[in-house]
Amino acid sequence: MEMFINITINGLATGMLIFLLAAGLTLIFGLMDVLNFAHGALFLWGAYAGIWTYTTSGSFIFGIIAAIVACCILGYLLERFIVKPVYGNHIQQILITLGAMLVLSELVKVVWGPNIIHARAPEWLRGSWEIGGIFLIKYRVFIIIVGLIVFAGLLFLLNRTKLGLVVRAGVMDKEMVQALGINIRKVFLFVFILGAGMAGLGGMLFGPYSGVIYAEIGLEYGILAFIVVVIGGMGSVLGSMIAALLVGILGSYAAYFLPEIALAVNFLLMIFILVFKPSGIMGMKEALK
Amino acid sequence: MSRLKQLSRFKLTLSVVAVGLLMFPFINDSRTAMIMLTKIFIFAVFAMSYDLLLGYTGIVSFGHAMYFGIGAYTVALCLKAFGPTIPVVLLAALITIVFTAIVSFLVGLLTLRLKAHFFAMLTLAVAALFLVVAEKWRSLTAGNDGFTFAIPELFRDRLTFYIVALVFMILVYLFLERFTQSPMGRVLQAIRENEARVESLGYRVMHYKITANVIAGIVAGLAGILYAMSLRFVNTSVFATELTLDALLITIIGGVGTLFGAIVGAAVIEYARHTLMDLASVHWIFGRWVILLGTVFILVVMFFPKGIVGSTKHWWEKRQMKKAKVTTSDKNFHQDVS
Repeated sequence: MEMFINITINGLATGMLIFLLAAGLTLIFGLMDVLNFAHGALFLWGAYAGIWTYTTSGSFIFGIIAAIVACCILGYLLERFIVKPVYGNHIQQILITLGAMLVLSELVKVVWGPNIIHARAPEWLRGSWEIGGIFLIKYRVFIIIVGLIVFAGLLFLLNRTKLGLVVRAGVMDKEMVQALGINIRKVFLFVFILGAGMAGLGGMLFGPYSGVIYAEIGLEYGILAFIVVVIGGMGSVLGSMIAALLVGILGSYAAYFLPEIALAVNFLLMIFILVFKPSGIMGMKEALK
Repeated sequence: MSRLKQLSRFKLTLSVVAVGLLMFPFINDSRTAMIMLTKIFIFAVFAMSYDLLLGYTGIVSFGHAMYFGIGAYTVALCLKAFGPTIPVVLLAALITIVFTAIVSFLVGLLTLRLKAHFFAMLTLAVAALFLVVAEKWRSLTAGNDGFTFAIPELFRDRLTFYIVALVFMILVYLFLERFTQSPMGRVLQAIRENEARVESLGYRVMHYKITANVIAGIVAGLAGILYAMSLRFVNTSVFATELTLDALLITIIGGVGTLFGAIVGAAVIEYARHTLMDLASVHWIFGRWVILLGTVFILVVMFFPKGIVGSTKHWWEKRQMKKAKVTTSDKNFHQDVS
């Protein structure tokens, strides 16, 4: 019994981490309908910039801030120069952001070298609590809490603020919102930067969680984020949360019981869901033509 | 009439280039050049099959390496199991055709009803499954380490293999050219332009898309056979997404929707990769080939969306039109005067 609880908690923590990564993409891909394949690169840059700042300055909080700031700047540059010219054209979006992804991941190797970099949790997040045979690793609990805060914040932003209203309206009818005197381009830019910042946060928290970071995590986790957004349903923050937790928990059970197929579990899950409910768990009917 | 003339001139140029390539090894006995050209031919075939999807039907697939990998492994396993003879290669080709046809049919059936980006994600996922299976089924595939195998005596000669690859590329080009000009190919292009309209005209869009997917899959599988035989080695990298990205890049550089563009693109990319790798000792940036690759992706989309062949064609047609206009306005002028 304890074993199941431990596996489930581990899965929850992994799922929350995946949610942090996918939350930004839910905004960029799910709401604004931009196929941003460079999202994984933002995650990667967040991880490297954050961990580097953290290890040189010694402050974990500093690292988190650095990761978010770095990714916000990158997000601004990406939107301004790469994504803006290709709004509305999916094939061009795929190609151009794929190019950005390749360049950014390779630049990480140029700046920080091609080797893996080790990362440890700060002093106050090391170790674990033990409650009746159940191990609560402090860092994982920390990730679950951060994930819940981001989730609540996103829901609040989208459903309770004027900005959220504008974003949701802008997604439905861009011209109408523009006609009402709102600069939708600026709103989209802001949303893109927000998504990028969340990717940075996810990347930074990923470092101490896995213990090592390397340049290939960009593509690996970028694809995972897409899987989560697709499974959850386009533009649904709640759907992304459910999908991320599903992927995380399923992954940790598979790693324990069926390590052979652990790698394939996400893909099988996505194929299964898309075949039977193409719009995703919480999505509207829009995946089908 | 002038269009016919222009067409035949284009075909004439193509034939001259083909004969030139056929003669090339007898004029220039550089082994590296021959091996590079062989590789270009193989990748041109792979990219042409990709262009049938991307350029002619408007489908973005991220799993095209899957078919390429199936072909590569089929021929490798057959040659290893039954010995290096020509009939075994033909058998492998047959198995590849059947297997890729079945897989592409099933994948198409499952995924082609989805919107473009969902389709892209799903093909990526299916291809990733193939990669995982190939990695894990070590007793059959030897995982990432791969295995070597002997190829038939005839193909061991680089020159023969060069000619085989070249002839194969020409045949595939002619076949796909024919196919895209056929009524069926026209429907595919119409689907690319406006799917809803084609559907409302009464065409069964799914039927056409699946057929395009199956043909592209089979051709990619055959390219995989040649690729594995040219290396005499196979490992799981033939299933990797990077290979699909290569096909994507070759297609967009050469020009989307122009089969000939795939050949030009393959030549440019392979040649650039070859020379840039040599320059790695001069400056580190050349060793980081991927940075240049990504930059090219971005620049092509921004400034050069038609690719090399597409842009040239556009420029040529514009020039012809101008010429035609000038002559007609001249005629009018003369008529007015008289």
